[in-house]
Amino acid sequence: MSEWQPRILAILCNWCSYAGADLAGVSRMQYPPSIRVVRVPCSGRVDPLFILKSLQSGFDGVLVSGCHPGDCHYISGNYVARRKFAVLKPLLEFIGVEPGRVQFSWISAGEGDRFAKVVTRITEDVRELGPATRLVKKL
Amino acid sequence: MKNKKNTVLVLGAGIAGIQASLDLAEMGVEVHLIEGTPTIGGRMPQLDKTFPTNDCSMCILSPKMSECARHPLITIHIKSTLEEISGEPGAFTCRVIEQAKYVDPVKCVSCGLCEAKCPVKIDDEFDVGLRKTKAISRYFLQSIPSEYTINPSHCLYLTKGVCKLCEKVCPTGAINYDDKDREIEISAGAVILATGIDPFNPLGFGQYGYHRYPNVVTSLEFERMLSASGPLGGHVVRASDDKPPKKIAFLQCIGSRDEGIDRNYCSSACCMFAIKQSIIAKEHSKDLDASIFYMDIRAFGKDFDKYYDKAENHYGVKFKRSKIADIVELPDGSLDLKYTFENGDIQHEVFDLVVLSIGLQPRTGSRKLADKLDIRLNKFGFCHSDTFTPQETTRQGVFVCGAMNNPKDIPESVVSASGAVAGAVKFLNLGRHDISTGEEEIIEKDVSGERPRVGVFVCHCGINIAGVVDVKNVAEMAKDLKNVEHSEDVMYACSTDCLELIKERIEEHGLNRVVVAACTPRTHEPLFRDTISGAGLNPYLFEMANIRDQCSWAHMNEPELATEKSKDLVEMAVGKARNLTPLKRLPIAIDPEALVVGGGLAGMTCALAIADAGHQVFMVEKESSLGGNMKDIFFNLDGSDPQQFLAETIRKVEDHPEIRVFLNSTIEDIAGYVGNFRTMFTNGSGQQEELTHGVVVVATGGSEHKTTEYLYDESSRVITQKEFERMLQEEKFPPGKLREVVFVQCVGSREEGRMYCSRVCCSKAVKNARQLQSKKSRANIYFAYRDIRTYGFSEQYYSELRNSGALFFRYTPDNKPEVEKVHPDDPESRVRVTLFDPVLEKDVVIEADLVVLATAIDPPEENLKLAKMLKIPLNSDGLFLEAHVKLRPVDFATDGIFVCGLAHSPKDMSESIAQAKAAGSRALTFLKKNSILAEGTIAEVRTDRCSGCGYCEDVCAYAAIEIDPEEGVAVINDALCKGCGACVASCRCGALDLRGFTNEQLFSVFDALEIDAVEGIV
Amino acid sequence: MNTTDNLRKTIKTLISEKKVDLFLGWEKGSLPLSATPLFVTTGEQAERAIFDVTCGNNLSIYFTKDKKQYANKKVGIAVKGCDARSVVLNILEKQIKREDVVIVGVPCNGVLDKKKVLAATEGREVLELVDNGDTVTVKGKGFELSLNRQEILSSSCLACIYPDAQEYDFFMGEARGEVPNEERVKEIIDFQNLPDSDRWEQTRAEYQKCIRCYACRNVCPSCYCNVCFVDQNDPKWIGSTCEYTDSVIFHVIRNLHVAGRCVECGACERACPMDINLLMMNRKVAMEVKDRFGDVAGLDINGKPAMSDFKEDEKQKFIMG
Repeated sequence: MSEWQPRILAILCNWCSYAGADLAGVSRMQYPPSIRVVRVPCSGRVDPLFILKSLQSGFDGVLVSGCHPGDCHYISGNYVARRKFAVLKPLLEFIGVEPGRVQFSWISAGEGDRFAKVVTRITEDVRELGPATRLVKKL
Repeated sequence: MKNKKNTVLVLGAGIAGIQASLDLAEMGVEVHLIEGTPTIGGRMPQLDKTFPTNDCSMCILSPKMSECARHPLITIHIKSTLEEISGEPGAFTCRVIEQAKYVDPVKCVSCGLCEAKCPVKIDDEFDVGLRKTKAISRYFLQSIPSEYTINPSHCLYLTKGVCKLCEKVCPTGAINYDDKDREIEISAGAVILATGIDPFNPLGFGQYGYHRYPNVVTSLEFERMLSASGPLGGHVVRASDDKPPKKIAFLQCIGSRDEGIDRNYCSSACCMFAIKQSIIAKEHSKDLDASIFYMDIRAFGKDFDKYYDKAENHYGVKFKRSKIADIVELPDGSLDLKYTFENGDIQHEVFDLVVLSIGLQPRTGSRKLADKLDIRLNKFGFCHSDTFTPQETTRQGVFVCGAMNNPKDIPESVVSASGAVAGAVKFLNLGRHDISTGEEEIIEKDVSGERPRVGVFVCHCGINIAGVVDVKNVAEMAKDLKNVEHSEDVMYACSTDCLELIKERIEEHGLNRVVVAACTPRTHEPLFRDTISGAGLNPYLFEMANIRDQCSWAHMNEPELATEKSKDLVEMAVGKARNLTPLKRLPIAIDPEALVVGGGLAGMTCALAIADAGHQVFMVEKESSLGGNMKDIFFNLDGSDPQQFLAETIRKVEDHPEIRVFLNSTIEDIAGYVGNFRTMFTNGSGQQEELTHGVVVVATGGSEHKTTEYLYDESSRVITQKEFERMLQEEKFPPGKLREVVFVQCVGSREEGRMYCSRVCCSKAVKNARQLQSKKSRANIYFAYRDIRTYGFSEQYYSELRNSGALFFRYTPDNKPEVEKVHPDDPESRVRVTLFDPVLEKDVVIEADLVVLATAIDPPEENLKLAKMLKIPLNSDGLFLEAHVKLRPVDFATDGIFVCGLAHSPKDMSESIAQAKAAGSRALTFLKKNSILAEGTIAEVRTDRCSGCGYCEDVCAYAAIEIDPEEGVAVINDALCKGCGACVASCRCGALDLRGFTNEQLFSVFDALEIDAVEGIV
Repeated sequence: MNTTDNLRKTIKTLISEKKVDLFLGWEKGSLPLSATPLFVTTGEQAERAIFDVTCGNNLSIYFTKDKKQYANKKVGIAVKGCDARSVVLNILEKQIKREDVVIVGVPCNGVLDKKKVLAATEGREVLELVDNGDTVTVKGKGFELSLNRQEILSSSCLACIYPDAQEYDFFMGEARGEVPNEERVKEIIDFQNLPDSDRWEQTRAEYQKCIRCYACRNVCPSCYCNVCFVDQNDPKWIGSTCEYTDSVIFHVIRNLHVAGRCVECGACERACPMDINLLMMNRKVAMEVKDRFGDVAGLDINGKPAMSDFKEDEKQKFIMG
């Protein structure tokens, strides 16, 4: 417990990625206890501000995950989301937020293993970066 | 027929059975869904991906499975079989045996401790033997119902009287070794047969080395190998040495198109299945070399040819048209394939893995079932049905759908399921109904003025959560959170006792928000919502923290961190709960009438399906008579008479009291939304008329492509297939003898500008060639073709034609047949056709008396106008694009609009009829309701903030939001909004929000941990 | 005939032929360094119209920030390249209708940045300015300077690729078309090549200066929300303090809100009292939008704004594999 544990916010779409996370659990796949999941109907619901706000309130990383292209339960919500992330991610890196802090992925309801892997990877990346400081609002 | 039962028995809970059940239930019919295995879902859960979109199969199926399981009118009977059926259509009595499950489904919490402890390992049926399961198990990880069952033929206690380990370990006492088979009697108005297919077992067919060579697998085994949730976790390796294969061969038509083993039918789906698997395998490993050995690639469905093209030209899958002569295993386990090309050349090639693309056959036991039902099967063991009544069996009141009817893929199974429903409802007595929750109305408390009083219940789930997470500690922590009035830990939150306890606590502490920290909201949220609603709280004042599936189960070795995580998750859930507001699902009235656009076969069939169920139908047809393309069809392969059927159908439509036909009419405008459409059209006398209706069916048909190729414009001896069919009917042949007749296939199809297969032309050409043979037995018949696509049972007619001496020449798009006049100046001159013969590898010249062109099917131009009016999409070919190519084949994303017939894609008569009935059924799921409920979780607008930029309108896939042209602000149509929130996140102005997932609610989740996080190191 | 004469004549014709009810142009400002917006309803007023290096105002903001005023009117507007792109966006974003606006393009060689002129005069007040083309003469109490045009141009103009209107009804002179501009991306690339810690330090230093006066937003032709997100309180989107994370987040979100909509007119930077290098983020976003979606804000009147659109097969390497 003395070791620093990163805390990563995961915003998951209800129909694919959240289901994938459930499947990982049902299959008893083990991954680091670093993520804190928020369920949204669709990755299309994710406003870039959610990500910035989470970083500001001290999360060490943010993962947003939706359905694979073509799988969106709402037909095209993930495409709408992808455009936003495609601009947000390079912009955040541009201003100097470490690339590993904010990640996007597509995880389907059948990909429990992928969920476990993605969480493991982002946790390792964030652990390497250490606790977030750059956008964190000091009280 | 007096005691009509509004109950239907559905046999088989694959996708067809599920679809049929849902359609019926939505019409207000009680459904008993009988399934032999321990889960619903059928074959689809075994699939990794589906073609041609590579959709994740479980992702698209699981919402339908849960909907089916949750529907109050559907009763699922797993491990059950129909034993006997008696009585008359409309009032059948069905005897069903429900096998003992040995686990009480009410007590079982699906924790899996029993399976972990069970000492008996058996082959896992779901994973086709590639993995072991236990004698007590869940059929697969996402099965529904989720409860475990014991396999009595393997259970040690049940077979030998010793063990009982599962009983010892079960935390809820759910094991019941004394469970007995139960017999139940169900009265049903109609029966729908949807028992589906089994894959062909190549075991008895030695030449492919299946089971003899470990690296020869079936396509179903390979599918499980590819699946991320499969036994190999999606990492394909060879059974012989666990090495990833670098070279894979797919062998087509294993157990299909094989006269030698009495399987002279095409399984219809295997070509696409192999293409899909080759693409997915190549996506897993880019350097993979994949070859498909085939006779004809039958990519005849919507967008299939584009997928085929992508596999070949983008992914580099190799397509080898050749027969496998022999397979020899090499010492390293690889396989030496000997194959022959068309020209007779023999080649050897070594592959690491061979996939047998096995055909489809009716489920084992179908024949016995058919005997019980007293229905006829065809010679291949599939259920017999006639061309014009594709879902009817030989017994009145018993319908068939899915692949039991004939080999078919997923969307066609769904179509046939809805089509079967249209038949079944005729034997019921359905009025319109109000949606009722099924329970007595409880007056909802008004909590609007109150400050949040949150109750937190933290579930142990036996040891599933409590074995890892310090549940008491979590519940203690929650007591100190802002607005939390009450917090406690409970053994099983979902148990009946605890649900009562939650209600009591709501009363006792005046709770107005409830948080349950337990398993996943995907399965349990509805239950808890019902519970708090029973205590007078609005069901949306509920939030779940998933501390089992996403915490204790995933961090079994890190109890302290899992406890920390659980606390955070509870804190976040409380954060959201604090800001939850009551939501209402508002009713939207449904007009009971339907508009059908188009009076061809599809339009008429659909109109009859709706009108026969007692609803007024308005049919708008642009031409002066009904019948559409069918007016030009005179023969069917099975000998039935299309014109007689057409005449009967037209008469039925014209005489039907509920159908009003408007000929020579064009639609000018359609406004409104589901339940409330308003259509302006110009009638036959040029006047404008207005109609109001609840749904729209698009059945605008298609037209024959006008070609200029092959001297069509210049020679009277070059005609289209349609013209030829009329010629055969009228027996007005060109002058002189008719000795040499050349059929040219794919004229305009499968090439630039029309990258799709017109699907019907191969069967149609075979049909007309056979007609010609029957009338002019001395004519020599030649086919110039690319792939012969006589899928399904048409295959037998093709092989008959081939056996009769007709000659087939395959051509490629860069080497098309050449046609020239023998006497250039004579318009009636015979024509010289030069074909390249790939067998002899040289040109063959035929002086033809007649050349018959199989011209493509084009979508009508007015589709574009209609698409704009209805705000529904067209695909790149100009065909209407349905809501989902697999699971919603006749719906549009926009509710209340349906499609059938050629407007959707080229298809034959029987398929058009099936789809038209399906569209009718889907329409009736709305029309049978007085009103529907809008979603509770939908977007809302603050008009004072809206600047009317229209981004929301652009990103909405449901046409549910638009900018009011007068006011210049967004307006949401509650009836159409599905609550995805794409518009909300696209609104810069903060004018939009999503109820149930508002910005404020989500912000409070992100901020919930703020204080902890800033502390940095824990 | 020079641009100003040409413009006056065109406005007069439009007014007299009743093609427009109102024409938006520029007139000589009361302060010599910036022209003032001119609202023309009569032929006489048209004589006051000018176009020169002082005409920095993007007049399209009147379509959005004063929306009611322009409803159901035919309006003519004089536009530089960037202004024209704003007008196109206004049309695509349903703020005005194409048939209600007459677009008059003027050949633009850049507009001045007051701060640069004042730097050249070493802070001395300028009383008169003459635009000579390649040079600009400024006069004040006891001094007269001839300044090289390039030296006083707004940095947005130095990086400009589309100096003249791509969408117009009339053009006052010769259109230059697309101007290749390597310089535009150099600053971005150089910055990108720094280690992320240096980038963050610079970002922090830059945005620490922000006093949250919102001048950047107020002059922005693409910012026309009725209530800006930063001013909304139910819920509060972000903090409005001058604490730097609040400021950075404000600017990042503002940039995302103008993604695919920023015409890089530079008005924000010219308006910024704290001299923050605001355009850098905008340009980075524009680069990504062009690179990923093939879209340049306001160029294609038949297109869709980038962030209201999508294609199925877009680059997605940034998605975790």
